[in-house]
Amino acid sequence: MTKDRTLGEHMSRRGISRRAFGKYCAYLASTMALSPKMAPAMAQGLAAARRQAVIWLSFQECTGCTESFTRSYSPTLEDLIFDFISLDYHHTLQAASGEAAELAREQSMEENKGKYIVVVDGSVPTKDGGVYSMIAGHTNVDILASTIENAFAVVAVGTCAAFGGLPYAKPNPTGAVAISELVGNKPLINIPGCPPVPEAMTGTIAHILAFGSLPELDDKHRPLAFFGESIHDRCYRRSFYERGLFAKSFDDEGARKGWCLYEVGCKGPIAYNTCATTKWNGGTSFPIQSGHTCFACGSPNFWDQGGFYKSLPSRTSSIGTVAGATAAAGVALGAGAALIAANRKKQYSKET
Amino acid sequence: MDLLSFARGPALQFAIGVFCFGVTWRLAILLFTPQARDLTPARKGALPSPIAGGREVFRRMWPEIHPTGSNMFTTINGYVFHLGLAVIVFGFAPHIQLIKSIFGTAWPSLPNFVIHIAGGVTIASLIAALVKRLTSPVLRLISTLDDYISWAVTIAPLITGYMLVGRLIQPYNTALAVHILSFVVLLIWLPFGKLMHAFIVFISRARTGAYLNHRGAQL
Amino acid sequence: MSNLIDRRAPENTTPFVTGLADAVLREIAELLDTLIETGETGIIDLHSLPMTDADRDMLKEGLGEGEVRVDLDVAGPSRIEETGTAGVWWVRHEGADGRIAAELIEVTRIPEILLSHPDDIREGRTRLREHLDEAGETGTEELAE
Ligand code: SF4
Repeated sequence: MTKDRTLGEHMSRRGISRRAFGKYCAYLASTMALSPKMAPAMAQGLAAARRQAVIWLSFQECTGCTESFTRSYSPTLEDLIFDFISLDYHHTLQAASGEAAELAREQSMEENKGKYIVVVDGSVPTKDGGVYSMIAGHTNVDILASTIENAFAVVAVGTCAAFGGLPYAKPNPTGAVAISELVGNKPLINIPGCPPVPEAMTGTIAHILAFGSLPELDDKHRPLAFFGESIHDRCYRRSFYERGLFAKSFDDEGARKGWCLYEVGCKGPIAYNTCATTKWNGGTSFPIQSGHTCFACGSPNFWDQGGFYKSLPSRTSSIGTVAGATAAAGVALGAGAALIAANRKKQYSKET
Repeated sequence: MDLLSFARGPALQFAIGVFCFGVTWRLAILLFTPQARDLTPARKGALPSPIAGGREVFRRMWPEIHPTGSNMFTTINGYVFHLGLAVIVFGFAPHIQLIKSIFGTAWPSLPNFVIHIAGGVTIASLIAALVKRLTSPVLRLISTLDDYISWAVTIAPLITGYMLVGRLIQPYNTALAVHILSFVVLLIWLPFGKLMHAFIVFISRARTGAYLNHRGAQL
Repeated sequence: MSNLIDRRAPENTTPFVTGLADAVLREIAELLDTLIETGETGIIDLHSLPMTDADRDMLKEGLGEGEVRVDLDVAGPSRIEETGTAGVWWVRHEGADGRIAAELIEVTRIPEILLSHPDDIREGRTRLREHLDEAGETGTEELAE
């Protein structure tokens, strides 16, 4: 079985030298903002690692995360990740189907007990016994529970898995929850984004392989290397923000001059993600560079932030009715109190 | 619900409700409570009351330093932080955006560095005001808890705002939520304490002006 | 459709000098000190520095052009050049599409990636031996016929 071989052996059988590991790790260290001095040790670790068994569960999702994952940019360098992992179960990518597919999952779980990684995309519906999403007669809740039981770690990719995402948006008809609600104390990594930046997914998995441990995470379980800074902090339009130069609409003079998109709804300041530095499609661009606002697709509740084209400070709840009703009540009560006082005074003067 | 969604949603909504209720309630009491008629005839040469009232409002806007200079600090300092607050509230782009989303109107914003300077000056000025209040025996004697609470809820949004733009609280979401919540507290307190002067100041000045004019006082 | 897209570069990306090149040169000088005194190698990730094109040109100029230039073909092209300052190497890794995957300054006698890895050497030997053995076997078979 190829799984007994180290990745180094496995790759050299395929004519890929250890230099490729070195180069890959130099690249990885650079994207993950690790010290470049660590690259050789990472390459060493990676070459000595076994092929990582990965079970990919897809729940309430749109397959965008998979699309993104398979488009990690460079067909030679980044593709190496597909040699490093053994994707034992993945609805969209596996050849097997039906019973055979489920069997592959169970087999991998058995063979790699305590060592396999479970990648999840999509949220899990919990309402009405979880009947809104089922695979092979089992609810997502059950499949997740049984699959992660002996897993080494769980990686929730995409905002749906990480924070509930679209299914979780109001009014959340299926009672969808984020994966974090269901994993107990299994080690969990969230890689949010709609979809996530491919390099964030592959980089995180490669990090686990090279070091045998999870990368450094923030309080929302996101790898700091990719989610440590906001889009706003790394945005090339930032100087316009500071100078107060804003596009007022998508086709005005300011927009043409590349001014800040804050007023047309940019959520960059609350968006923690790597788009502004890693960019998309092989470093081509990212939404703000293409003239669109960032709508913080990797943030919790991004769908319910009051509107993609409403500026960040805008109110998110209706205020008019509340203000009107309370003001009316204020006037009524105040005037009432005043009149009662006046009456009393009148009575008092009559009595005396 | 995360903290930011809470702050921007229900918390802000609640605070605006309390604010609108409180302000209208107090104004209604003030305006609807029948006043004893002043039956005295107006002094000779007295102006019509509305004009006298209006004149007093404007007259008092002009700073008047006592010949001994004893009120120099409070007068100048008072202007500094009131103007500073106005610059920050009405000049900073995000604040204008909030106002726009509520009232539908917007105007050009000031560059951020101007806001940063105004923020620093205003905070310093408010701190100076507190120091003055604590060190001057007279001021201290007439200060009540209301004064200190009003001071605290006024400086709080300034400080949280500074921490927000200076990235002293991370992540930004939390910082923004804290800033909004400090504003929420300000909104809730405003109608019930001395900060209500924002609404009453011109009414009371006008009334004083009209009254003194009626009595023939030289202003 | 294309006439709707403004293709002008965003205003603030016009190259300007930030002074980073100077800082990097100073750091390289220190790394050279260490290399000479202790033999310890150093490395700087250029990708992590917000350098403008002008900064990069300044850095190149400061280091000068050297004598060694190596092209690798390892999961996409890589170019490794020794700069005019001996012991300072400019390492550029690209993916197959030509995008820079990593760009490093290595302060060393020779960048490690150029050395053959012991595992690769062992693997090469095994393959050579297998080949020789196979050739030997076919040779005897031919003789037997
Ligand atoms: S475009 Fe968005 S992310 Fe960029 S500076 Fe403006 S608000 Fe910040």
